[in-house]
Amino acid sequence: MIILKRFSVWIALAGVSFAGWVLMGANKIEPMPTPVSEPPRSPYEQTVAASGIIESVNENVRIAPPVAGLITKMFVAVGDQVKEQAPLFQLDDRELRAQLLTRDAAIPPLQAQIDEQKYRIGDLDTQLRRLKSVHDERAVSEDDLKRTWYALEVAKRAQQRLEATLKQAIAQRDEVAILLDRLTVRAPREGTVLQVNVRAGEYATPGASEPLLLLGDTQRLQVRADVDEVNAPMVAPQASGVASLKSLAGTKIPLTFVRIEPYVVPKKSLTGDNSERVDTRVLQIIYRFDRPPFPVYAGQQVDVFIQRQPAGPAAPAPRPAAPRQQEPAP
Amino acid sequence: MNYVALKMLFGDRAKYLMLLCGLTFAVMLIVQQGSIFWGLMIWSQSSVSNLNVPIWVTDPGIAQVDEVKPIAATAVDRVRSVPGVEWAVPLYKGLLRARLSNGDYHQITLTGLESSTLIGRPAEVLEGRFEDVLQPDAVVLDQWAVERMGGPDVIKIGTVFELNDKLARVVAIAKTQKSFTNIPVVYTTYERAIRYVPRERRTLSYVLAKAKDGVPVAEVTKRIHEQTGLGAFTAEDFGWKTIGWVLKNTGIGINFGTTILLGFIVGMAIAGQTFYLFTVENLRQFGALKAMGASTWTLARMILLQAFTVGLTGYGVGIGLATVFGFFTARSGGLPFIETWQLLLLVLVALLAICTFSALISIIKLARLEPAIVFR
Repeated sequence: MIILKRFSVWIALAGVSFAGWVLMGANKIEPMPTPVSEPPRSPYEQTVAASGIIESVNENVRIAPPVAGLITKMFVAVGDQVKEQAPLFQLDDRELRAQLLTRDAAIPPLQAQIDEQKYRIGDLDTQLRRLKSVHDERAVSEDDLKRTWYALEVAKRAQQRLEATLKQAIAQRDEVAILLDRLTVRAPREGTVLQVNVRAGEYATPGASEPLLLLGDTQRLQVRADVDEVNAPMVAPQASGVASLKSLAGTKIPLTFVRIEPYVVPKKSLTGDNSERVDTRVLQIIYRFDRPPFPVYAGQQVDVFIQRQPAGPAAPAPRPAAPRQQEPAP
Repeated sequence: MNYVALKMLFGDRAKYLMLLCGLTFAVMLIVQQGSIFWGLMIWSQSSVSNLNVPIWVTDPGIAQVDEVKPIAATAVDRVRSVPGVEWAVPLYKGLLRARLSNGDYHQITLTGLESSTLIGRPAEVLEGRFEDVLQPDAVVLDQWAVERMGGPDVIKIGTVFELNDKLARVVAIAKTQKSFTNIPVVYTTYERAIRYVPRERRTLSYVLAKAKDGVPVAEVTKRIHEQTGLGAFTAEDFGWKTIGWVLKNTGIGINFGTTILLGFIVGMAIAGQTFYLFTVENLRQFGALKAMGASTWTLARMILLQAFTVGLTGYGVGIGLATVFGFFTARSGGLPFIETWQLLLLVLVALLAICTFSALISIIKLARLEPAIVFR
């Protein structure tokens, strides 16, 4: 073949094969790199996705002091589990304790007086009985008898008065004791100490903007899921759902429906900025869940998928612009 | 007869080389310009192709990928609620100014990827690990950012600079396709990107999504558009949308179109003219053949064989040279040069058209040829 004797033909063949080789190598579309962790996927065919936050079932309690006062002792630290009525911190109680001493001291004299009065009554009672047992009118005058009787009655009334005074003194002592007890601030319910913002030696005032202690229940947690108001009609009550932690999207936590918050609130985009910015409005749905084997914390963000009811309202598609009907020409 | 035709063609070495050179350079010019043009177009949509995700969701009025129109943050959940969507993650994209420690300012494109999955990250990392972007204040630059912001001496792993007065620390350098505007790309997580940028009411730029296996992507984008009212595009469509925008709003299309057309015309003129001259100079031989009884049809076949032989040889050498040029200049990614088989096919068709055209002129000349010319 004459054609193969030409050098230029070989160059041409080389050129074509080089171009082909470069093309084969260059225009390959690389596959997408695998995600660092699995992205959240819906387990349902029809779903409403939401972003959720884990929170404690009961709202957190901001513990405040009953009166302004100096804190003398803290009984708890952050993270402590406390039972109901467990002491949290102690306010300065020396003044009331001093009062309690005097109030306490006021009781024994009154009791002594009552005892004294008992003897006096006994004495008069004996006298009166003795006088009554004498039937000779010359020996015991009517006047003596009457006088003794009056004296006995007066003594009895005096005992009643003393007893009332004693009761009053006891009540006064109890009042101080109760006021004293009030200075020990106790947990209103079982929970975990989430924050401690005071130390012994600081002065606590009621109504401070920062709570002295923050008490919450971290044993039982719930998920608050935000659904865009546009998707709100798609959510049916009692719809089941799953949640997954960010970066643990493969592990689904099954959710049990609790309630739908009846008021649609502005969504906050949590940016960590001083003031949160309002983005859109969201329907909030509360879900309960059992603790998964891995740790979850209140305040953690989760991706939520809610099952959409098959017979539920149709997707709220933007209504296609229907061609306007031509008005008949006049 | 074919042997005679080829012998005639190759016999005159100087003429053959001239013919070959003309065709080779015409081919090379068209291929090279076409590839550079296509390379620029690919660069213009590199923001889409670098992220390499199947579906882009954003405001329906979007013109091109770099013209960001933020949407509400709940759009991610709304896209996730669309049947057929396997996953959807947020993406931040926006321009920001970076200030280096030496006082230099650079405009950069901040790209915030969803932090737990890092979907949209480049496949290849030149230095460091991309996953380190999860560390505090960490960012990843692309290789062009290093080049633009002062070279590897100024920007390396561990370099600290300011983004909107906030600290950013380079932990890795990723390999990406250069972009048309060549604005450095800074990758970080979505949450941190929002912390870097000035306050805006809406911050979500795009929702990146993928269709479930077995559901056509086009069907899913249609559903997303119908159910959410947002604009959903496949990566391919979005890339084309961006290319269309560039062609419409810049002079690149006309510039390169003119050059390619000129290449075509010049190639055609040279080839046609040279080939015609070649035929004319060989008229005596053809006349002899005709006198010996060869029909015009046989002569036409000979001419066509000659034309296609030299044409295909020129094509081969031409695309070979263009590819070598592209291979060595564009290997580093610094020059837009992307050859595609479509372009090569188009050039082949154009070249065959040139050859056929010039052969036709010669054939017409031959058809009118009197065999008696041999004796003149």
